[in-house]
Amino acid sequence: MRDVSLQIPPGVTGLLGPNGSGKSTLIKALLGLLSTQAGDGRVLNHQWPSQTREIRDSIGYLPEDDCHIAGLDGIESVTLMAQLSGIGGKEALRRSHEMMDFCGFGEERYREVESYSTGMRQKLKFAQALVHDPPLLILDEPTTGLDPDQRLALLRRVRTLADRHGKSIILSTHILPDVRTVCDHVVILVKGEVRVVDTLENLSRPVEPTIHVTLSGDHQPMANRANMAGHTVNWQAETSTLEIGGIEADQTSQIWQWAAESETPVRRMQPAVNSLEQIFIDVAAGQSPGEPSTSANGLEVNDAGQ
Amino acid sequence: MPVNDLGFRGWTGERSAQWLRPLVIARGGISLILKRRWLRFMLIIAWLPVLVPAFGIFAFEFSSTDPVMRRRIVGMAQGLLQNPELAEVIATDPDRARHEVWATLILYYFRVPQLFAMVGLIGLIAPLLISYDLRTKAYLMYFSRPLTPTQYIIGKSAVIWFFLAGVATVPALLLYILGVFLSSEFSVVAQTWDIPLRILIASVVLMLPTTAIAILYSSFTSESRYAVFSWFATWVMGAVTYQALSLTSLIVERQKGSLDLAAANEIWDRWRIVSPYHILGKVESWVFGIDRSSTSVIPFVLILTAITVIGFWIVRRRIVARLSV
Repeated sequence: MRDVSLQIPPGVTGLLGPNGSGKSTLIKALLGLLSTQAGDGRVLNHQWPSQTREIRDSIGYLPEDDCHIAGLDGIESVTLMAQLSGIGGKEALRRSHEMMDFCGFGEERYREVESYSTGMRQKLKFAQALVHDPPLLILDEPTTGLDPDQRLALLRRVRTLADRHGKSIILSTHILPDVRTVCDHVVILVKGEVRVVDTLENLSRPVEPTIHVTLSGDHQPMANRANMAGHTVNWQAETSTLEIGGIEADQTSQIWQWAAESETPVRRMQPAVNSLEQIFIDVAAGQSPGEPSTSANGLEVNDAGQ
Repeated sequence: MPVNDLGFRGWTGERSAQWLRPLVIARGGISLILKRRWLRFMLIIAWLPVLVPAFGIFAFEFSSTDPVMRRRIVGMAQGLLQNPELAEVIATDPDRARHEVWATLILYYFRVPQLFAMVGLIGLIAPLLISYDLRTKAYLMYFSRPLTPTQYIIGKSAVIWFFLAGVATVPALLLYILGVFLSSEFSVVAQTWDIPLRILIASVVLMLPTTAIAILYSSFTSESRYAVFSWFATWVMGAVTYQALSLTSLIVERQKGSLDLAAANEIWDRWRIVSPYHILGKVESWVFGIDRSSTSVIPFVLILTAITVIGFWIVRRRIVARLSV
């Protein structure tokens, strides 16, 4: 990694990047598991890299790798992690049960970890990361191996921890819908460099405000009216959607007026947002986020966000 | 599902000091190993040889009131132990012989049954420590906590130290206490007060280099069977090589001319360097004050120190390298 300079605010931050971009390296460097040649910073008011042990004491880390301590039951694994974080005796056991309850474990907590499925091991690592109540959580690919229900449940827990318990969370993932579901901020790394640090809201906002209007019937009369009013218009036949550029989300009365004048039924109206997938691809290709794509991959620059 | 799910709650309790965290690793490792029934059985078996020196101490103390027993012990010192000086002291002044008799019996306990128990026990325990952690990547879990590689190594080593203390140090100390209770008066404590200290030092001599070798092999591979094989090969091949070289040298020297005890001892010491078992034997004999060889013990102490330092240094490097992947 080189020239890495970033400030991660409270909330949920998505750490994105192609394979080999340096996400895990950045995380391990933050934890002090990798030595750095140069640089300094602060993590939770601790000097980095001189106070990495204090930093690790304040961080809950969920590693990407399938890792566990052989021979231990689920509850014993979490209790051991609690004790390694300095929680003593019965309190460690009590706290571990509480975290396993929170993570949705039932009686399977008394089974050996070797017998756990991939998804259960992910949940176990999440419980281990949380058990000492750290103010900062670093989750490296936390939803890998989870079924859709468990994935949503875990993302809900992440959001709950951020919203109700004031946790800062760094979510390193390849799964862009996960980022869109829970993240407030996004950091994109490419080839060991930080390319993007911004809020998801800012990144999602297109260069020109655009409204997507899904129509029934002939779109031409309405397109003509919008054109005559000086707006750029683009018709997407596949989705029966008219993209009207240069119009803000609070100016929809104008669209309703054109629809009434042209007697065109409007089925759906939605402000356009940048696709996170496209942003990711653009940034990986060395372009600015939101900049029109020159690649011939058939993906749109802007699309209707969810 | 839980009867009452509290959801997530913060935790603001007092945390223990960071330097105590290796104890958690040690405690976790010990309880994990004690889960294995065969190992608990082996620990009990490892205690049985203590009966031999215990009987020896009993017989020695009993001989102070029984001349027949004393004659037998004198005969054993001359024959089995090949120590005529000790036999003479036992015959003339048993009180003066007590220290050496006890030390010899406890050294015998350290050298013969407990070294075999140690080799067997560590050979089965050590791979469960670092090799398994490498295989399951458990080191990532450990180092997500405020642990240094050195603390991790100390925690893992402490598991071995605990079991070694269980099969060697504790029985030896109990043996000493048994001797005190079996003797005619408590004044024997004044004669033998240094033996418990010697037991502790001999335990350190036993534990540090053996643990360094064991976890070194354990850190080289995630396949625990290779670590086990290397461990046993080190002891067996070392001992066999030592015996072969020493016996060959003795035969050659005998063919050249007369071979006195001092020269034979010099030959036995010459090849100790190839066998960890015999290096330990030399240093432990010296610790118990009954090393009768004229060869200096210092080179052997230096070898054990070097094994310990280099072993732990390599293990540390291996672990740091793993984290960089």
